[in-house]
Amino acid sequence: MTQPTPAAPPRRGRGRHHILVGWSFILPNFVGFALFTLVPMLAAFALAFLEWDSYGSPEWAGLDNFTRLLGDENFHVALRNTLFYAAGHIPLTLVAALGLALVLNRKIRGVQFFRTAAFFPYITSLVAVAVVWNMLFNPTAGPVNQVLEALGLTDPPRWVASTDWAMPAVIVTSVWRDMGYYMVLYLAGLQTIPREYYEAARVDGASAWQRFWSVTLPCLRPTTFFVLVMLTIQSFKVLDLILVMTDGGPGRSTLVLAQLIFREGIREGQFGYSSAIALVLFVIVLTVTVVQFRINERRSAT
Amino acid sequence: MTAPPRSRSLARSVLAYTGLIVVTALVLVPFAWMVSSSLKQDNEVFAVPIQWIPDELRWSNFAEIWERIPLLTYLGNSAFLSVTVTCLQVLTGSFAAYGFSKVRFPGRDALFLAYIGTIAVPWQAYMVPQYIMMQKAELTDTYWSIILLQAFGAFGVFLMRQYYMSIPDDLCEAARIDGLSEYGIYRRIMLPLSKPALASLALLTFVNTWNDYMGPFIYLTSNELWTVQLGLRSFVGQYDAEYAMIMTGAVLSVLPILVIFLFGQRYFIQGIATSGLKG
Amino acid sequence: MITSGKTGARRRAVRGLGLVTALSLTIAACGSGDPEPADPNGKITLSVTVWNLAKTPEFKALFDAFQQANPNITVKPVDILADDYPDKVTTMLAGGDKTDVITMKNVTDYSRYSSRGQLLDISDTVRSVDTAGLAGLDAFKVGGSYFALPYRQDFWLLYYNKTLLDKAGVKLPDPLTWDEYAKLAKQLTSGDGGAKIHGAYHHTWRSVVQAISAAQTGGDQLGGDYTFFTEQYNVAKGLQDAGAVLDFGTAKAQQADYRSMFESGKTAMMPMGTWYISGILEARKKGATDVEWALAPMPQRPGATGTTTFGSPTAFAVNKKAQHADAAKKFVEFAASKAGAEAITKVGVVPALQSPEITKAYFALEGMPADELSKKAFEPEKVNLEMPVSDKTSDIDTILNEEHELIMVGDKSVADGIRSMNERVKNEVLN
Repeated sequence: MTQPTPAAPPRRGRGRHHILVGWSFILPNFVGFALFTLVPMLAAFALAFLEWDSYGSPEWAGLDNFTRLLGDENFHVALRNTLFYAAGHIPLTLVAALGLALVLNRKIRGVQFFRTAAFFPYITSLVAVAVVWNMLFNPTAGPVNQVLEALGLTDPPRWVASTDWAMPAVIVTSVWRDMGYYMVLYLAGLQTIPREYYEAARVDGASAWQRFWSVTLPCLRPTTFFVLVMLTIQSFKVLDLILVMTDGGPGRSTLVLAQLIFREGIREGQFGYSSAIALVLFVIVLTVTVVQFRINERRSAT
Repeated sequence: MTAPPRSRSLARSVLAYTGLIVVTALVLVPFAWMVSSSLKQDNEVFAVPIQWIPDELRWSNFAEIWERIPLLTYLGNSAFLSVTVTCLQVLTGSFAAYGFSKVRFPGRDALFLAYIGTIAVPWQAYMVPQYIMMQKAELTDTYWSIILLQAFGAFGVFLMRQYYMSIPDDLCEAARIDGLSEYGIYRRIMLPLSKPALASLALLTFVNTWNDYMGPFIYLTSNELWTVQLGLRSFVGQYDAEYAMIMTGAVLSVLPILVIFLFGQRYFIQGIATSGLKG
Repeated sequence: MITSGKTGARRRAVRGLGLVTALSLTIAACGSGDPEPADPNGKITLSVTVWNLAKTPEFKALFDAFQQANPNITVKPVDILADDYPDKVTTMLAGGDKTDVITMKNVTDYSRYSSRGQLLDISDTVRSVDTAGLAGLDAFKVGGSYFALPYRQDFWLLYYNKTLLDKAGVKLPDPLTWDEYAKLAKQLTSGDGGAKIHGAYHHTWRSVVQAISAAQTGGDQLGGDYTFFTEQYNVAKGLQDAGAVLDFGTAKAQQADYRSMFESGKTAMMPMGTWYISGILEARKKGATDVEWALAPMPQRPGATGTTTFGSPTAFAVNKKAQHADAAKKFVEFAASKAGAEAITKVGVVPALQSPEITKAYFALEGMPADELSKKAFEPEKVNLEMPVSDKTSDIDTILNEEHELIMVGDKSVADGIRSMNERVKNEVLN
């Protein structure tokens, strides 16, 4: 089983060797990815500079789609709504998921049941989720408002029936839905923390809170980074829940970018325009992700 | 001073359990609604106001649904697709992730960033070009279309790469010095150590593929190929829908996922074996 | 950070690939769409897009009748889920799909496909067909040509619960004006909470207010001036505020289902389309409901002569890239003809071709109400198109729907909502 230790190969050959090896690992996934996802995506981005209704030949449109975008009120409304949704969804889900994972990482009785329960919202039919939460948020008869009134609020928000409070209602529902999903990722991440670290900290006299800050959080950094990036991306892409809960309404108060892309493209047949919106969305998310990458690199270095 | 440790921790346990039960109840309410709807008649499901316990429990819905649509076929199709896509995603994803995390080569990080960036684009944006490509390749209306589209995602690569980053490089260096090839390191060290991540990736991929509606809707036209999600939507007509049947199907559709989740939980209790690090 | 020559070259290659793909899309979409010449004596398989084949009996009825009349043609249905039907058809057509007959679910879809040139011109077929009694044909005329023929026409009338009306000692006057309707609705409302009986149920679709208003006032929904909606909105909101109709916010949030509302016996009157007739007949036969129902014409404006209501035709069109164009045209013609109308009447669907015999056959179906008022409801004098067809229809429809929600939910007053509609349509669509 043992092999003779090979002499270290010359550095230049080693570099090329590394490139080959690295690519050999990536290739199986990359070929499939490039062919079936990347190429259509690039075609779609190219469409942003064309005008195409999915049937005739595309015509060159240059930056027309983008100027149209800047003047389109629907786009600005959708962008604002999407940003608002992301700003609410990302931190709340992160905290909820981490909290759940921490609580449910112990060997308490019935932990399997509670973990499965936390995951339930993610696998429940969207229609059921929308109906039940709409019922909970019912302005007159719903429990949420009844509790708020009992706490002394005389004029509780009308939630999905009002333009101001529809998006917060959607955010609450989506946090509830996604926390189980990200809890699973955090649970996996928590398994990487060696027990010895905790014991060392305990021996040093650290309290539970201090152990959390000095052991758990730092060791969870790669996982937190992953969760943060995925949350960001998925928040900007949100579509299904909105469609089922409010369909962009009332009015346009919950209209989001992905919905606009879908509407302008498949429904209206303006594929050039919808691709332009998609390209803008992509650039925004990529920028945010790059920033997150840089911050993460700097933090890891310290 | 403070209360004796035993009763304090008892109070804390009771509080913790109560909290957990309340949260769990809140979390299960929509599922309870699903179950209650599945036992109703169609025109009772959305009756206003909501009636949680129907007057008459129609258990017959659970027997009827198997005859109304070929549910067994659909479940089989869903299972086939989910398992295939999950296996491919886990294998190629973890394989590629090793390349992105433990092997250094120029352009690695930029390529990785591009990978992540593509997750950011909503599928609706490139749905049509993708379909045209598939149709030219004559793969529409076959399982291949779904498998090829979903098995090579960037999500799996990202997840596994992050997990691998938390595995110390010293382990890999030690193995390299021992003469193990990169592939050997991947198989003998990385894979076994990353079981929790592999399990979570498998679970999430399985759930997403199982619940996917739009992909199979666009690509699987023939009725024999339909998945459970398509079968359930076939109860939605032009002007109305058979909601009770849909919910019956939805309840049945959730069960396999629950089984897999309960089964895979043990991977979330194992810790990483780091004894190799010492000394 | 890493912009070495290799990566730069890779990026350029990737960009080039994108352009090549875009170009190939052009070629793919325009493509080689030569339909094979149909062999009139050989066996032909005709593909037709349908939705929910198992749940929509009209398709099977038509296919069976057609295959009987044309033994050398077999019909192959392409079953697409109703919920997202237009999305899939758009994608299929974009990919150069060769399905022969495309079913036009509504006129909005038709206006999209026809304006993109995806449908075959069948004006010659239309000329050879007896179009005298064919309701809704005008909607399919685009620039002087026809690209589809209607086989089914649904229009709106009033369903009412006979038991509830009898109990309150109320009889529907004929003709019924909107004011009388509102008064009756308030009168028929009783009870509270779970036992509440609503005088009427208005579904959340904007057509419930806007289409009937356009039909009865002659207003143009594509015009950009929507002041003619005011009266109808006042009626609708008045009923909502009085509690006679389930409020819009609740109905939308809880996805209230009009069938549940009516079949539970908790709603006295409901304006709805004729498609529901086959639904309630089946529900009664199955025992899912025991509501004694009957029909009446839609309420009218005071001083109106005859019944004016709105409706929507469903049609068949031929794919420009169809493989069997001639057989397809034959099918489209058959569906719009007397034979097709008779076939679908038997399953409770209202055909586009109207005649006294068809009406008689329809009312001979088991479970249909037999009173004179119901029969009168079935023969409105004027059926307006639910929404006029043009390339601006879709955009205007979206705006009108958004503002409709805001008005009904109470976020905007009727006057403000209508003003928004005017502004938005003028600025965003009509400029």
